[in-house]
Amino acid sequence: MFEDILKSIFSAGTFNQMLRSATPVALAALGGAMTEHAGIMNIGMDGMILMGAFFGVLGSYLFGSAAAGVALVLAMGIVVGLFFALFVVKFKSDEFIIGTALNTFALGLTSFLSRSIFGASGTKGNPALPTVHIPGLDAIPFLGQVLNDNSLFIYLTWLLVLVMWLFVYKTPYGFWLRASGEKPETLRTAGIAPEKMKWLASILCGLLCGLAGAHLSLGQLQGTFAEDMANSRGYIAFACVIFSKANPAVAYGAALMFGFFDAIGLRLQDYISSDLTNTIPYIITIIMMVYVVVRSQRRKRHAGKRLPARQT
Amino acid sequence: MKKRIISLLLALVLVAGLASVAALADDEPLTVALVVADKFGDRSFYDSSKAGCDKLAEDLGIELKTIECGGENHTAQIRNAADMADVVVCVGWEFYDVETVGPEYPDVKFIWIDNATSAPVENVLNITYAQNEGSFLAGYIAAAMSESGVVGAVGGEDADTINDFIVGYEQGAQYYADSKDTEIEVVHNYANTYTDPAVGKECAIALNDEGADVIFQIASATGDGVFEAAAEKGFYAIGVDSDQKYINEDVIICSMKKEVGDSIYAAISALAEGDDSLWGTTWVADMSTGYIGIGYGEEDAVQQVPDELKEEVADIAESIISGDIVVETTRS
Repeated sequence: MFEDILKSIFSAGTFNQMLRSATPVALAALGGAMTEHAGIMNIGMDGMILMGAFFGVLGSYLFGSAAAGVALVLAMGIVVGLFFALFVVKFKSDEFIIGTALNTFALGLTSFLSRSIFGASGTKGNPALPTVHIPGLDAIPFLGQVLNDNSLFIYLTWLLVLVMWLFVYKTPYGFWLRASGEKPETLRTAGIAPEKMKWLASILCGLLCGLAGAHLSLGQLQGTFAEDMANSRGYIAFACVIFSKANPAVAYGAALMFGFFDAIGLRLQDYISSDLTNTIPYIITIIMMVYVVVRSQRRKRHAGKRLPARQT
Repeated sequence: MKKRIISLLLALVLVAGLASVAALADDEPLTVALVVADKFGDRSFYDSSKAGCDKLAEDLGIELKTIECGGENHTAQIRNAADMADVVVCVGWEFYDVETVGPEYPDVKFIWIDNATSAPVENVLNITYAQNEGSFLAGYIAAAMSESGVVGAVGGEDADTINDFIVGYEQGAQYYADSKDTEIEVVHNYANTYTDPAVGKECAIALNDEGADVIFQIASATGDGVFEAAAEKGFYAIGVDSDQKYINEDVIICSMKKEVGDSIYAAISALAEGDDSLWGTTWVADMSTGYIGIGYGEEDAVQQVPDELKEEVADIAESIISGDIVVETTRS
């Protein structure tokens, strides 16, 4: 029996699902990393994902192509980012409340529009994003099966992780972005308005979360929208952001971990109650948070040790 | 002093006015409030109840109000509905508080779909469905259509009503194996959500990885993902609650029908004619009532299930009605 469990856990199917489930979370986490660096606690990602999922399907339905859906999502992402920044940056409202409001608003708006346009049942079977076949990759036995023939956005996410990582750590904009969150006064002294970087971060977050939603409805599903389909992925993404200290590469790793545990949770249901397997993502979140706290405590202690030594 | 008398008189007039309005209201058509535990748009359970009530509004001219709980505040929503309607239809096992709220509103009639109170309440009609019997037939068809000898089911969550489907499904598949002297394995998992088709798709793919080539969805909107997985990976799916063939006639071979809307229609139209004898009881809508069965879609739909198998299924349905086959249940 133990062998059966291991076999079902470490099958190509598990890793396929890991990639599929991780991608919307990872894309949203990339967006969340931007706002996190800019010093905005963004819990509105769930709503942004939901809007992305809806507008992706809407564009695909209206114009008959998934590319048009993605274009509409990008436009929507900018608008949502601006909207979020307007309240959080310009009016300096409480970001927690604005984030919650955004989630509620997104649920209401998408449900209303979906029912007005598609009727109560939502829609399905609209033009979806293509899967990518990499010739020659199949030759590698296990990896080929996992990495090949996935939806376009799974590969796009890898590219975006690299781009966002370079942006944050290797460009002056990324430097200013981080400064706008950590030491806004200093950035202002240097002649750059931290507010501008916060606006930029919000827009990037809107765009990336929108893409996360588009992957969910157009990549993972075949142009299907159901009300409330974001299903708390935005909160999981937020946990990834906090865990990774907003490092895009680490956030992607964290999202993969969630995807992996999702996949084995499903396969473990044959042996353990689904109520228990269902708690796995939340247990992982708690373990991650404990790790984050312990890590920061240890740093403080090290810093404390160093200090007297310097003084003497 | 004078002011007080005047205000008292005015208050009296107001009360009398209200009372006369209330008296007039008796001639008004019935107001029915439909409260669903989650949301419309599942193309099965809740939508079926809505269709039944819409038909009531059309045929009997009742006034229909709808409330979607979206998975929250079920008790408060029962009260909201009872405040504004003569008949409250609660759709979902989540409304167990109807048992305590019911007596607070003696003039309101309640219908509770999908579960039974432990002690029947005078103004509550419990309608519970023998989904295990319908699922038995679905399991039989699944086993007969399977080439791999493995059939699957994706449930919404690990709850009594969902498990009632699964128990019947497993027994039906086993019945096929016994009568044809073959081996059948039934695998299932739970999505733990009713609104996330992406998870439903993953659940179905996971079962397909285990070899299942016919998968029964019992998960509302999450089940849409099961149909998508079936189309993508090339296996068969079975719909639930409504006849779902039309969603994708190439992969959905049949649906286990649970005619929630029709049973609500029957109960309320009886009430409109002055017959409230059903209230205070638990009505089990089993296969003999016709509210449970198998649907193969419209006549011109593509059919995968051969006619001989359909006849066998019809015979088994007869045996279930006559009691020759007893289907296990999780309903107490």
